Amino acid sequence: MLRYLAGRFAQALVVLWAAYTVAFVILHVLPSDPVTLQLSASGADIGTLTPAQLHLLEARYGLDDSILVQYFRALGGALHGDFGMSLTQNVSVSSLIADKLPDTLLLSAVAIPITLLFGVGIAFLAIYVQWRPARVLLARLPAVGVSLPQFFVGLLLIQVFAFSLSWLPATGNSGADSLVLPAVTMALPGGAMLAQLLTRSLADTWGEPYILTARAKGLSRWATQLRHALRNASLPALTLLGVIVGYTVTNAVVVEAVFSRNGIGQLAQQAVLGQDVPVVQAIVLIGAVLFVSVNLLVDLLYSLLDPRVASAARVA
Amino acid sequence: MSTSTRHRSRSLGGRRRLATAAVAAMTAAILAACGSGSGGGAAAGDSADGSSAGKPVPGGRLKIAFWNDLQACIDPNQVYWIESRSLDRNIADSLTDQDPKTGKIVPWLATSWTVNADATEYTFKLRDGVTFSDGTKLDANAVKTAYDGTVALGPRSTLGVTYLAGYKATTVVDPSTVKVEFSTPNAAFLQATSTTTLAVLSPATYKETPEARCAGKIVGSGAFTLDSYSAAKSAKLTRRAGYAWPSSLVANKGEAYLAGIDVSYIAEDSVRVGSLTNGTLDIAWPRQPISSADQDVIKASGGRIETRALPGISTNLYPNVTGDRPLGDLAVRRALYKALDLPSYTKTIFWDGYPVAKSPLTSTTPYVADESAKLAHDPAGAAKLLDGAGWTLGSDGYRHKDGRKLTLVALTQAGTPGDQLVQDQLKKVGIDYQIKVVTASQFTPTAAKGDYDLVPGYLTRADPSVLGSLLNAAGSTFYTAKFSQDAATAAKVSDLFGKGLSTVNAEARGGVYQQLQDYLIDNGLVFPIADRVQVIGLTKKVHGFAWTSESFLRANDLWLSK
Repeated sequence: MLRYLAGRFAQALVVLWAAYTVAFVILHVLPSDPVTLQLSASGADIGTLTPAQLHLLEARYGLDDSILVQYFRALGGALHGDFGMSLTQNVSVSSLIADKLPDTLLLSAVAIPITLLFGVGIAFLAIYVQWRPARVLLARLPAVGVSLPQFFVGLLLIQVFAFSLSWLPATGNSGADSLVLPAVTMALPGGAMLAQLLTRSLADTWGEPYILTARAKGLSRWATQLRHALRNASLPALTLLGVIVGYTVTNAVVVEAVFSRNGIGQLAQQAVLGQDVPVVQAIVLIGAVLFVSVNLLVDLLYSLLDPRVASAARVA
Repeated sequence: MSTSTRHRSRSLGGRRRLATAAVAAMTAAILAACGSGSGGGAAAGDSADGSSAGKPVPGGRLKIAFWNDLQACIDPNQVYWIESRSLDRNIADSLTDQDPKTGKIVPWLATSWTVNADATEYTFKLRDGVTFSDGTKLDANAVKTAYDGTVALGPRSTLGVTYLAGYKATTVVDPSTVKVEFSTPNAAFLQATSTTTLAVLSPATYKETPEARCAGKIVGSGAFTLDSYSAAKSAKLTRRAGYAWPSSLVANKGEAYLAGIDVSYIAEDSVRVGSLTNGTLDIAWPRQPISSADQDVIKASGGRIETRALPGISTNLYPNVTGDRPLGDLAVRRALYKALDLPSYTKTIFWDGYPVAKSPLTSTTPYVADESAKLAHDPAGAAKLLDGAGWTLGSDGYRHKDGRKLTLVALTQAGTPGDQLVQDQLKKVGIDYQIKVVTASQFTPTAAKGDYDLVPGYLTRADPSVLGSLLNAAGSTFYTAKFSQDAATAAKVSDLFGKGLSTVNAEARGGVYQQLQDYLIDNGLVFPIADRVQVIGLTKKVHGFAWTSESFLRANDLWLSK
């Protein structure tokens, strides 16, 4: 088990390093000059500066070194949690992230249980319910959820629950009630995907011999599905959940724009458009860390849910 | 400049606009239902608006939403972002103020001033009893620290660079008298002293780094103090107790009525308008004019609309006349004026009644000239000019010369309906107008290389000299100045700008700037497309609303009814 863990951990580190490096290379291959970008962001024109002033600016951002030196310095800094200065905003990247990340994480933390509720709830009912029309409806519902664009759902929810009914605020980062609509919007596509997958694997599991055994022993449909079928069917769903959580930053881009929440998603959008390299680098790394750690966690949960996984690893 | 940042957050725009359209119908339906019940209330609200609506009630916090905050800076000395300047106007005071009706400069922190004949020496007498919110007294030394500090910002103070062009020194004559000297004439400086850019902050502020000031470490002497500022997220302002030195344009001579101002940023138009009509907001203040459909929605909810053209440079296109580009030929540039149909552009993109561009300067800029005769739509005239220049109409509907198609590449950050309309108008005379969309980060580098035929640009300042920032090649290195004129034209243009800056007499200044605007149009240096109107929505609770001369918010007289 320990070897399995160590191996997985080493793998995670390699993924992180690769994500950081690929992002660095792509961002530096792009045809633009960070100093020009930084100046145009602050409203100045590069032509207004003397060569000496330009050199000073380049030195300030460490842009006068070779690309390799820049890379290792950036990597070293990142290891210590120092991502340098933002090129377009007058603050350090770390303080930007520290300002925006908590809101996004909080939103995600609320959205994930809702995702689970949607996904597991619909799948469970779709299989449990025996009245055919309801079964078909429940089984088709996720397809609708997956196809609805998030920004449309968000605007619709705002119109109905914020503007017409005045139950919840439309915008803002303050208070628990301002989290509800964005969290539901964020949870919808993930929940729908989860429901699709889980419905299918639950249906497959019902055909397994051990379900027949359980039913033959006199266990109710409900208890059989909850204790035997769901546990076995949840393995692929768990993998998908890991992916969904990993997409937090991506999801946040649209949701935060619609609900005027100022989090990592908005920051990512701005940074990409403004080619704010250090900020994009940091966000890529955060996304990668999230992805890698959640997937690591999922793999570990696998062995808890299904002891065969851990023993297979041990044998290998 | 704001030219390059205008459309920065437009990437979601396309998708958003679709969604907005989809939801708009529903909104309209919902609000029509609400509106029918409160029709009488709306009428009452209309008659009750303005400062004439009874006795002001103190208290309450004004909730205002802007569209975005991409510059992420609140320091008045550094910021060019107009929304931040609106906030700064209420945090920081300036030596003078400018009357939005007449453009006249009136006393504020300075009670009187003298200007020498060649506009190189300005002496200000300071008001007594003014303090910054950190308790420091306003004196000649504070003004010197502020102006020196703004100059020291260099290009970080985008606007300050031109406002203080030719700055030599500020000297303390006595504690209440300060003298500002220039090495070259700067007749626009008096107007500059009325702007937020030259707001006087507490001497302690200038000990902070420029970055810290941008992030909110600023102390002013304004009617409000800045409690907190988080870029693009929120700002909180609180009434300054004991404030008693507003400009002579303000009715309320004492503390502000509002207890404070809560600022938020809502990028999505439909959400901003919805938040206004359901009362979550008191003022919705977007950058792009509120659409006429949304204006109707706001009015139906009992709210009202205030509009005022932003003074300064209109939404213009600037040509690239260098090399063998088609616009190098004056005849083609003149044809372009005749090919553009500005009244129909204005009516289509905005609404009937929106001011049509008449000059490279907007309608509220002092000394704006009426060039509309030269900008009149005349497709036949355009065709004649183009024929004369050797561009003959081909079978493909476009004009050609020596095997080359008459193609004009227009650089933009987002292909707006306006761009498409221009494309359509120019196609009618055989010009192939190509919209080249580049990202915000690519815009400046591309434009700086002159890789375009036409490039857009505007700027806000209530003085005609502002045109120099984009067109005076002697004072500005901006691409619009560099590529829009040959050496001979540039000499003439900078001579006219120089004359404008060295003429103190108001009437004579008007003459010079009339001449300048005539020259710019006659020689095809700038193509006015649209006036720039600031349109805001207010609920019926808001009274005493006032614009500054730069069409910013002035909150001294604002109050909220219960």
